[in-house]
Amino acid sequence: MASAGESGDGADGKGVTTITIISSDNEAFEVLEAAASMSLTIRHLIEDGCADGGIPLPNVTAGILAKVLEYCSKHVAAVAASSEAGSSSNAADAAAAPEKEEDLASFDKAFIDVEQDTLYDLLMAANYLEVKGLLDLACQKVADMIKGKTPDAIRQTFKIKNDFSPEQEEKIREENQWAFE
Amino acid sequence: MSFRSLIQEMRDEFGSISRHSLRSRSHRSGNAPREAAVGSSEEALQQSCWARLPPELLREVLVKIEASESWWPARRDVVACAGVCRTWRGIMKEIVRVPESSGKLTFPISLKQPGPRDGTLKCFIKRDRTTQTYYLYLGLTEALVDDGKFLLAARKCRKPTCTDYLISLDRDDISKGSSTYIGKLRSNFLGTKFTVYDAHPPYDGAVVSKSWSARAICSNQVSPRIPAGNYPVSHISYELNVLGSRGPRRMNCVMDSIPASAVEEGGKAPTQTEFPLSSLDSFPSIPFFRSKSAWIDSSTSQSSTEKEERLVLKNKSPRWHEQLQCWCLNFRGRVTVASVKNFQLVASDDNGPGNQEQDKVILQFGKIGKDLFTMDYRYPISTFQSFAICLSSFDTKIACE
Repeated sequence: MASAGESGDGADGKGVTTITIISSDNEAFEVLEAAASMSLTIRHLIEDGCADGGIPLPNVTAGILAKVLEYCSKHVAAVAASSEAGSSSNAADAAAAPEKEEDLASFDKAFIDVEQDTLYDLLMAANYLEVKGLLDLACQKVADMIKGKTPDAIRQTFKIKNDFSPEQEEKIREENQWAFE
Repeated sequence: MSFRSLIQEMRDEFGSISRHSLRSRSHRSGNAPREAAVGSSEEALQQSCWARLPPELLREVLVKIEASESWWPARRDVVACAGVCRTWRGIMKEIVRVPESSGKLTFPISLKQPGPRDGTLKCFIKRDRTTQTYYLYLGLTEALVDDGKFLLAARKCRKPTCTDYLISLDRDDISKGSSTYIGKLRSNFLGTKFTVYDAHPPYDGAVVSKSWSARAICSNQVSPRIPAGNYPVSHISYELNVLGSRGPRRMNCVMDSIPASAVEEGGKAPTQTEFPLSSLDSFPSIPFFRSKSAWIDSSTSQSSTEKEERLVLKNKSPRWHEQLQCWCLNFRGRVTVASVKNFQLVASDDNGPGNQEQDKVILQFGKIGKDLFTMDYRYPISTFQSFAICLSSFDTKIACE
């Protein structure tokens, strides 16, 4: 097993505490507890005191875990920055808020622009780890891939089998002919 | 077993947990598509991982599509998703709500379901005099006419003793034998009385006993298609008013398939949920032509409506405008050319007191240009019924001078 770093799961020090997460293929990732806690699954494990020596995730490989933690770290930093800006009386900070939102949006867009297989893995990992924002982002990406396609094109893109009977298929063909009229 | 010790156990077994045990795909390898099977006999692996997406995640995706593609032409994406495979269809059909509550048309069956309770669906009709064909479109914008989404087409067929308007989902194939035929309007010789016929039973009763999914499992072979039936759903009559031909005509529409209680508070109108697939065992001993009362007997679950009053629609009486010297109705800008064909239908107050929806215009039809008409309708009638009623207005010979 990889050497688990000092997980330092002290009760205080929100920004400073780090947690070690271990992927299914034995790679260890050290992240801020706040970032890791964006995953409800991990947050519950931390709260239950299971974080000593690192949290193993047998369902998530290193490559995907890295991506998920990248997402969490970016978003947790953005939340921290915006709450600072909100409490700050600095006009410049307040003016910069929408710009920072835009930065985050373009980060998300670039982040989710991945290959189909990676997208599937991210979707499953976000679901398993209960990272709501990432799950939403991944689902939206899949939805965007579906829009504008015929049923046949959708099946081809996602390699899904057509399991309708010939009778049903005829009815569906008519239905789509009407819809695409 | 505590969670803590569970984690400990997992750690202890770490070395022996196979990388592949929880995931059936092979180790990551660049861009190679994931559907390569380990052995040719493992058919399940030949479909990609996407085919095994957990239903709750698939549902999340489909919900997003249904919510964002709410109007045409983008709404076709919802129909496309419902045509991918059985699972996708099941989920999408469950997500999509009927026009009555959503105000949206989605699948062809939407055209047979009651219109929205809130607001109206604004459509327009184009007439082609050369081919005696009428095309119904759903408006895409607030304009009176635009590109529109094609809904239904109707073709006039003159016969020795009557005239039929055949109504179809296919603009190019409007014939009774076609699978896209959904009903017709028949007028009597004089053009004073009309009957609207539905090719399919007006609502899910004992007649259409099998649900979509049950039928899907049972019938894998293609069954011969039964010719469409003739279920009368509406009777329309036109009469001169008391002023004779110098006043607007009177319309009377008896909606056989809708109870009068539908327009009262808490009332419901019957709603078809699927076009019945024509297979030999789904239409047990039903004669193809039915008289007005016969079809009610066969739907045992709806036998109560036999005693219930039918909804009757009458046209709103225009008022005489002394200065303009013409009959006027407030079409709220949706009708711009005076024509004897223009009308507004409301629920008749003959249906009984306490009719709160009485003032609501259920169907409005009127001319906006040469061969161009608007049609606005709402609950409890459907697109199909509205279109058929409007067609009768084209045909009737009762006219003002």
